[in-house]
Amino acid sequence: MPATLEKPAAINGSKPPTHLTVKIDGVDFAYGARQVLFDVTMDIAAREITAFIGPSGCGKSTLLRCINRINDLIENAAITKGRITLGGVDINHRDLDVIALRRKVGMVFQKYNPFPRSIFENVAYGLEVAGEKDKKRITEVVEESLRAATLWDEVKDRLHESALGLSGGQQQRLCIARTLSVKPEVVLMDEPCAALDPIATARIEELIVQLKKQYTIVIVTHNMEQAVRVSDRTAFFYLGKLMEFNDTMKLFTAPEKPETERYLSGRMG
Amino acid sequence: MPNEPKASSDPGASDLIKPPRFMGLRIDRQQVIRAFFSVSAAVTIVTLFLIMWTLVTEGPFRLQKKLGFLPVPTLKGGFLDTYRWELGVYRKAGLEFCDHVKKPLTEHETIFSRLKRAVGAELNTVSKVSRDRRDAAILAKTHVEERAALQREALQEALDKTGPATPPEKIEELRKAVREATARKVAAEVLPPLFTDAEKQKLQEDLRGLQPDQEDFPPFIQELMAESAKQDGLAREKFAAFVTAVDEFEVAADPIIEVHDAMKELALATKELAVQQHMSEDAVAQLLAAAAIAKTPEEKAAFEKDAAQTDTTAIDFKGRIEPLLAKRADYEKLIPAYLATVKKVMADMPSKPLTGEARTLLAKARKDLPEHIKTVEASLHHMSGWKWDKPIPLMQSLSAFLFGGDWITNSSWQDFYGMVPLLTGSLVISLTALLIALPFSIAAAIYVNQFATLREQEIIKPLIEFIQAIPSVVLGFIGISVVGDLIKSTSDVAWLQWIPGFPVAERLNMFNAGCLLALMAIPTMFSLAEDAINNVPRAFSEASEALGATKIQTVFKVIVPAATSGILAAMLLGLGRIIGETMVVLLVAGNRIAIPDFSDGIGTVFQPAHTLTGIIAQELGEVSRGSPHWQALFMVGIVLFAISLFINWASRLVVRKFQLPKI
Ligand SMILES: Nc1ncnc2c1ncn2[C@@H]1O[C@H](COP(=O)(O)OP(=O)(O)OP(=O)(O)O)[C@@H](O)[C@H]1O
Ligand SMILES: [Mg+2]
Repeated sequence: MPATLEKPAAINGSKPPTHLTVKIDGVDFAYGARQVLFDVTMDIAAREITAFIGPSGCGKSTLLRCINRINDLIENAAITKGRITLGGVDINHRDLDVIALRRKVGMVFQKYNPFPRSIFENVAYGLEVAGEKDKKRITEVVEESLRAATLWDEVKDRLHESALGLSGGQQQRLCIARTLSVKPEVVLMDEPCAALDPIATARIEELIVQLKKQYTIVIVTHNMEQAVRVSDRTAFFYLGKLMEFNDTMKLFTAPEKPETERYLSGRMG
Repeated sequence: MPNEPKASSDPGASDLIKPPRFMGLRIDRQQVIRAFFSVSAAVTIVTLFLIMWTLVTEGPFRLQKKLGFLPVPTLKGGFLDTYRWELGVYRKAGLEFCDHVKKPLTEHETIFSRLKRAVGAELNTVSKVSRDRRDAAILAKTHVEERAALQREALQEALDKTGPATPPEKIEELRKAVREATARKVAAEVLPPLFTDAEKQKLQEDLRGLQPDQEDFPPFIQELMAESAKQDGLAREKFAAFVTAVDEFEVAADPIIEVHDAMKELALATKELAVQQHMSEDAVAQLLAAAAIAKTPEEKAAFEKDAAQTDTTAIDFKGRIEPLLAKRADYEKLIPAYLATVKKVMADMPSKPLTGEARTLLAKARKDLPEHIKTVEASLHHMSGWKWDKPIPLMQSLSAFLFGGDWITNSSWQDFYGMVPLLTGSLVISLTALLIALPFSIAAAIYVNQFATLREQEIIKPLIEFIQAIPSVVLGFIGISVVGDLIKSTSDVAWLQWIPGFPVAERLNMFNAGCLLALMAIPTMFSLAEDAINNVPRAFSEASEALGATKIQTVFKVIVPAATSGILAAMLLGLGRIIGETMVVLLVAGNRIAIPDFSDGIGTVFQPAHTLTGIIAQELGEVSRGSPHWQALFMVGIVLFAISLFINWASRLVVRKFQLPKI
């Protein structure tokens, strides 16, 4: 696979709004012999927030991790049927440049995981591995990303201190800044607030809603209120199947499937 | 006062109070189990202390009974004390004084051997061709004679027979057989291209005529010999100044050697007496001790009588040193003549030697000779400042051990226990091994953990760990039989001569030992490094790849830096394993007790050496218990022990210093 070290687009000013959509078309997924996703089909619209909800173990993270192919790191795990396209391109195409895909589809993990390096180096990492040498540009991008993640004011005086000295909420925002630094089109978030307290959660939710203007966002959450607060559309998964996918308001107020109803009312999962 | 459950307590709670019971005793079972484990831990710790105690009481200290039974370690009789006594005799008997003369003599010897080689190289430029021709011809003659030996011997026998002498026709017959056999062999003999075709024919003619009763060399070979002798003479004439200067340099040391030998004799006699006296003193002490516990008064009297009869008169060191000191004047008288010869050699060395070999040798000599003159002059100075009765403080015997450059034992002259050669040997070998093992084990750990498929992991890991199961003696065989030859033959390859130290002189050397020790350390280092890499949280690599880093970038920018502490600890523990290893170094390191000559740079590793571990293994079995040599070996053991402790401590420190956050 040719590793195109594509330079991030010009970054003066904010990034132009994305128009890339993700289409998931009849996807089956298996960890070795164990199938965990069954015939999932859904379209994720551009500049919207799509929430994945469902009981533990139903395959939300698995589907999310298919979209940037980070599941490639797990041996024997693969999509066995169907396809996922990003802006019309099959992301499992034989000649697809995975590196380029991951720069277009960023990911924020459940447990904040900054590298044991300085704050600055954490945010600059994405540019560093892309071969960016221009110090000035790196500094600009770092500042811009930290501002976008609403962290700049808190860390601007300690950019060169270890990232591990930040609070949990700050570390998670740092991870978001790190994800934004490579100018992705789609941002995947796997329970980004699971390890945070309510105040930090509120800040991140605020941030996510702001990011919607420019990015296509998918968020996995166990927090129903959060799904209602931030998302435009919600997908409900149950035992590896997509049970219901609808406008958030509709899904929460008038669920069509009995499983959804049971789950939302807290009698399941 | 414990509150006994009274009738007042609720029956539902009455089972809360229960006396501990174990095997019918009022003991808590948990306590017993705890005690068992704490005792086990205590036993290991006590064993550790016993080991240290043994090392200390056999080495620097010696046990003495206080109050008749209480063993108390004292310095008296320990290594420092006995070594001090030995060094004291070395001084008082004047051996030290002699060594001031010995030093320039040793230098003279090395310089002379270099000069001699240089002379040889120079002479060769003129005489080599004719000598080679002569030698080739003689060699061919020997060959032919050997191959025709059967017929020649038969003829010889017939000629020697006297009883009734062999009839002439019979002899003639045998001669014919010899001629035929010789002719066949001559035809088979390949002559080197040193001769022209005409000369080859002449030589073959000569050889064909060989008969066992012929005494002189055949004419052509005689011609060649004369030519060679003539060329030799010419060569000597051509380099006459240099040749004579070197010859004179050789004999110039003779009178000094004579003086030195005389001095040595005097000093050794005194030393002999001192040792005798020391032994008698010991014997008296033992007799008196025996007398103190003798059962009957007669026995006691007998012991005491023996003790009284043993001659322990103190030695008159002062009186005996006088004639030795007087020799200084003799030595001093010889110096001007000697130095004149040295200067003559310096002047007569060809300024533009014809051969490369002579050039390097002479360059060395040119550097050494002025130093040599200084040594000679300094020796006079040292001798006049030397005092036979200057006391030796205890600390000096310690520093003589720690910083002494000679480890000489069972010497007819003087034993020295200086550990520097052993320590440098151990360190150079260990560092070599570490440098070899480090890249291999870390690269293997990275590959296995990050790039290999599960199947590959299943095959590679046990294989690498299996290396540990190879007995070190077996590795020693391999070192001697395979690696040694490999190093030697590689070092003779012409286009590899740019590597420092090539060609190597010894098959068994520090590099060889380092290679095998590296092999032994790789499993330890690999496993620990692999663990360290495996412990790097998966979240780091996922985050890195999600940002568009390649696998290689992830490994080198995130995983390896995060595993630094574990990798460093792996390296240190590997080093600990290497330093403590004995068998391989004993078999393979070459066992030359000398400080390596570091002027070779990297090439130093191709010299043989001895090690701290090797010396103990080699010598401990052969020395008598409690002797200074025995104690010195225990001192070496203590040094080893300290090094290992230090390495362990350092690795703990490293691990703590670079600890990762838990994710
Ligand atoms: N690396 C893996 N190897 C094998 N099976 C896995 C692996 N990761 C997840 N699974 C299985 O796949 C199924 C779906 O897992 P997934 O992590 O997608 O669930 P989830 O919906 O994200 O659950 P949660 O809400 O608890 O995070 C689970 O049954 C899980 O046991
Ligand atoms: Mg999950």
